[in-house]
Amino acid sequence: MREQVVMVGDDLPLVGVLSEPDQDKNSAPNTAVILLNSGVIHRVGSCRLSVTLARDLSERAGLATFRFDFSGIGDSEARRGTLTAAQAAVEEVQEVMDYLGHWKQFDRFILYGLCSGAFASYRTALSDPRVIGTVQLDGYCYRTWKSHMLHYAPRILSPSRWGQLVLRKLGLIKLKKGAEVSGIEERYFEVPNFAGYPPRQEVKQGLRELNERGLSMLYVFFGNEYYKYHKQFEDCFKPVAFGDNLTVIHHPHATHILSEPEDRRAVVESISDWARDLIKHTQQPVSNGSEAGYRVCICASNENPN
Amino acid sequence: MEAFYFGPSESYLFGVFHPRQSTNRNEAVVLCNPFGQEYLRAHKSMRRLAINLSNLGYSVLRFDYRGTGDSAGDLAGVTADHWVEDVEHAIQEAVDMAAVPKVALIGLRLGALVAAKAARNNKQVSRLIMWDPIANGSTYLHDIRSTVLEAQNQGSRSRILEPNGTIHFNGFSMPLPFQETLSNLRLNELASAVSVPIAQIVSHETEAFTNLSQQLSERSDFYYELAPAPHDWNYVDHVGGILWPKPIIDAIEAYFDQRAF
Repeated sequence: MREQVVMVGDDLPLVGVLSEPDQDKNSAPNTAVILLNSGVIHRVGSCRLSVTLARDLSERAGLATFRFDFSGIGDSEARRGTLTAAQAAVEEVQEVMDYLGHWKQFDRFILYGLCSGAFASYRTALSDPRVIGTVQLDGYCYRTWKSHMLHYAPRILSPSRWGQLVLRKLGLIKLKKGAEVSGIEERYFEVPNFAGYPPRQEVKQGLRELNERGLSMLYVFFGNEYYKYHKQFEDCFKPVAFGDNLTVIHHPHATHILSEPEDRRAVVESISDWARDLIKHTQQPVSNGSEAGYRVCICASNENPN
Repeated sequence: MEAFYFGPSESYLFGVFHPRQSTNRNEAVVLCNPFGQEYLRAHKSMRRLAINLSNLGYSVLRFDYRGTGDSAGDLAGVTADHWVEDVEHAIQEAVDMAAVPKVALIGLRLGALVAAKAARNNKQVSRLIMWDPIANGSTYLHDIRSTVLEAQNQGSRSRILEPNGTIHFNGFSMPLPFQETLSNLRLNELASAVSVPIAQIVSHETEAFTNLSQQLSERSDFYYELAPAPHDWNYVDHVGGILWPKPIIDAIEAYFDQRAF
């Protein structure tokens, strides 16, 4: 594997690192994986996950990867403009794809992101057909009746929860958000300013389009109050029939920032395996009747105890 | 600014060079990061400090030690002495790129301890600035272990892994060889062997800071400043919030503005 620092754009460049597999291990010379920022953490990723993943993808899956900072994050200077951060993210990923396409002749891309990075990968995939796959960690998903049950049932039986609810209703305790949670003065603590979730119907329609286009999607969900069981994603977006385009992995004990080494190891391994299978299947014509030709079928691990 | 790799090919280092933007101060600055989650949360502060100092006329190099950030490898087999070597590579790189004879070292937390060791006997170092320094490697490790054990008692899965002794703390690992070499580092001993001016700029008061400043206050070239600011670099929330302790960054900038080499 070989790494080099790359500055994309002449004025206020986007700073990134290109990792390329050894020539004899390159499984897809026309495909690159682009790793996106999570929140305001710079491109090395939460607990250095993006660096570990980028190198694993290059070494084990034989794929080139590019991790970079969006403008205004990490080492990339802020750019002035009228776009929202969400719109600018899509434009910047496309700028990176153009750059890598001209320079290295990549014409197919897999986008990876955690949280806000996942949202950006989804939106970019909708806007750009060069994207053949997305890897979304804690990407868009909404509650279902079953997740509500799994979330609220234990709380209904908890006296302390009822007590807290009463105190909140009486205004005696307040739910803290953003910088408030840290106890650090807001002016000395920067938290990501995430745009609100889009309406579920909008995401459902977007996923339907991507699915019809044959986009391969790997979703990985961690333990949180929103995602409660393995099939919640499919239930949430019914009746979209993802079939083999979709792989969902649920790690209910892992934290959102993947703070535990064995969780990071498992996630990195499953992403590299998924990417390797995707490349294997898309490098050859598909003969099983798939219209899109981008089908991939692997087994999702599910350690959800529910 | 210019981002690039430098150093030996087997342990290449990621660096960002901020060339001076005004009058040449004839001195460059190398920034030395803290460890683990602290490094991640301090990235913005280190970058902003680099930009501000470059605007004052200092060329600045910030970099990732081997096994961290975008630099080569992970920490398996890496020791604190390797990080000292990395600082030495960064000093040479800064001298070459900025075309200046001397380099000031600024170290945050563990970075101050590593920088102090690198500053000993290095004729290219002009001064050492310690920002909320870790005063004792052994105490630092003890504090980390205590925090992990306390978190375990509260249900956290974080733990000290056995049998190889690697510590997993706040999402980052520190293998045993690193711990063993780190536990030998004591700032009071290192600082007394540093022959260049030393500044200790702190965001809060602790017994360790006080003891260190009392020891160093006997030196005529010692500067101390308390610039109250948030300092919990290990605070981790689920959305990746970043500490931005502007008052102490301003204090370091003012120190460099008023005390040119």
